[in-house]
Amino acid sequence: MKVKEYYEEHQRALLGLSSFIFLAAAWELLLTYVVPLNPFFFTKPSLIAIAFKEQALGGNLWHNLAISSRAFIWGFSFSVVIGIPLGAVMGWRRRVEYALDPFLTALYASPLVAIAPLLIVVFGVGLLGKAVLVFLLAVFPFIFNTFAGVKSADPLLINVVRSFGGKERDLYLKVILPSTLPYIAAGTRLAIGRGLVGIIVGEFYAASEGIGFAISQAGDTYRLPEMFVGIIVLSLVAVLLTEVMRKLEITLAPWRAGEEIR
Amino acid sequence: MTTCIQAKNVGLTFRPKNREPVTALNDFSLEVGQGEFVSIVGPSGCGKSTFLNILLGLIKPDTGLMQLNGARITGPGQDRAMVFQEFGLLPWRTVLANVELGLELKGVEFSIRRHRATELINMAGLAGFENHYPHELSGGMKQRVGLARALATDPEVLLMDEPFAALDAQTRDLMQAELLQVWDRTKKTVIFVTHSIEEAAYLSDRVVIMSARPGRIKQIIKVQLPRPRDYEMRLSPEFNDLKSRIWDVLKEELIDKK
Ligand SMILES: Nc1ncnc2c1ncn2[C@@H]1O[C@H](COP(=O)(O)OP(=O)(O)OP(=O)(O)O)[C@@H](O)[C@H]1O
Ligand SMILES: [Mg+2]
Repeated sequence: MKVKEYYEEHQRALLGLSSFIFLAAAWELLLTYVVPLNPFFFTKPSLIAIAFKEQALGGNLWHNLAISSRAFIWGFSFSVVIGIPLGAVMGWRRRVEYALDPFLTALYASPLVAIAPLLIVVFGVGLLGKAVLVFLLAVFPFIFNTFAGVKSADPLLINVVRSFGGKERDLYLKVILPSTLPYIAAGTRLAIGRGLVGIIVGEFYAASEGIGFAISQAGDTYRLPEMFVGIIVLSLVAVLLTEVMRKLEITLAPWRAGEEIR
Repeated sequence: MTTCIQAKNVGLTFRPKNREPVTALNDFSLEVGQGEFVSIVGPSGCGKSTFLNILLGLIKPDTGLMQLNGARITGPGQDRAMVFQEFGLLPWRTVLANVELGLELKGVEFSIRRHRATELINMAGLAGFENHYPHELSGGMKQRVGLARALATDPEVLLMDEPFAALDAQTRDLMQAELLQVWDRTKKTVIFVTHSIEEAAYLSDRVVIMSARPGRIKQIIKVQLPRPRDYEMRLSPEFNDLKSRIWDVLKEELIDKK
């Protein structure tokens, strides 16, 4: 009974973890007993683990992580600070929407990573170039989701607040902001993914440090286990950030706790 | 009786983009005395909610005049409150916070508004659900939250848009009795929109029957039943007589349009 209860309570984590372990084990066994291991083209979890230990203890892992994080945090922060207000104004003022929408939609739809080389030429290979790339990629989900959130505010609820004597400020605070929060949260999750792509692409093109640089360098020199260390660290960061967002959403929007938010 | 609400030749046409204009109200005139309980019945889409929205100050009429206590209505005011047909509860607020909305916007101090809101929640039979969110409530419970919210600010005029439509028959009877008591105690002016002839007859001083769209007043029937009213009254021949008189007028509107 105890086991079953424990399982039911942590079902989500347990199932996720066991599928992960299963895959890793299958990979390890496959490359140990079935496919002959050619270290130039294949690697396996045990080798990655060893490389991870080396990198973490003596290598540049933490330094690279810090370098990449800094660029990410700068670019991401700016995308929040600029994207959310811009989206809100577009949602609330139709003229701003009409003026900016074609331009922003075109930018959002185009593969911005294609202009990464240009950005690197203009802003350099350091922090600035990468932060700009992260910003450009991450800002659009904030703009468009905030915009959609403001638009989604129910006119009935706006009328309710007006009917009880609410002024324009009350409409923003009591209706529009709460209806927009879930949209912003969803936008944040998109933006995290896009921002991470920005970092990696920036560091692929030209850089001398950072997780993206480490991945591309290890790849170029056929050091597969080290390459996978970078990739895994990256996905861990992505999972961690997404998980934090999920928790944040539940705290910020308890009225939606009943619905499963993804 | 002093006049509280006065509508004079009120007309309103909605002009949605890319659609045919809809005349919701045409030459609508009605006077309601202070403390009077007036019901409005009429076919669906005849402009009942529109009339309430104009009274509430959310929409301006195209033509005519809408007055409250002798002054033209220019916008929403704390002297009026509406129980909305589609509830209009804020999904991110608990029952308690929803009921407090009007008091909060009025600037009432926290402890006072909490006390008042709790009182009304108890009256509406929602005790124990203070901290629930609207999506956790049944339709009838949501409607009672809407009623409690409207009563919380103690408005002089109470506008009710099919407030009991989502209630089961028993709760509905209870809420009707409760409403009559509140009305008797507080002497509010009530405009009550309903599709139930029985409800209109039981609650009101006068029943306004509207014609199909464009809505105008077809007939006003005065209810002569004595007050206070009790449930047994509904079984009396006078009551049945009244119901069939209302039905006879309303019927023509429903059949005409088919
Ligand atoms: N915002 C709006 N834009 C366009 N048309 C509207 C709008 N609101 C109402 N109408 C139209 O005006 C007419 C009257 O609507 P209203 O909501 O007042 O009807 P009602 O009498 O309350 O109906 P019901 O009994 O079904 O609630 C309807 O034909 C409706 O389609
Ligand atoms: Mg209506």
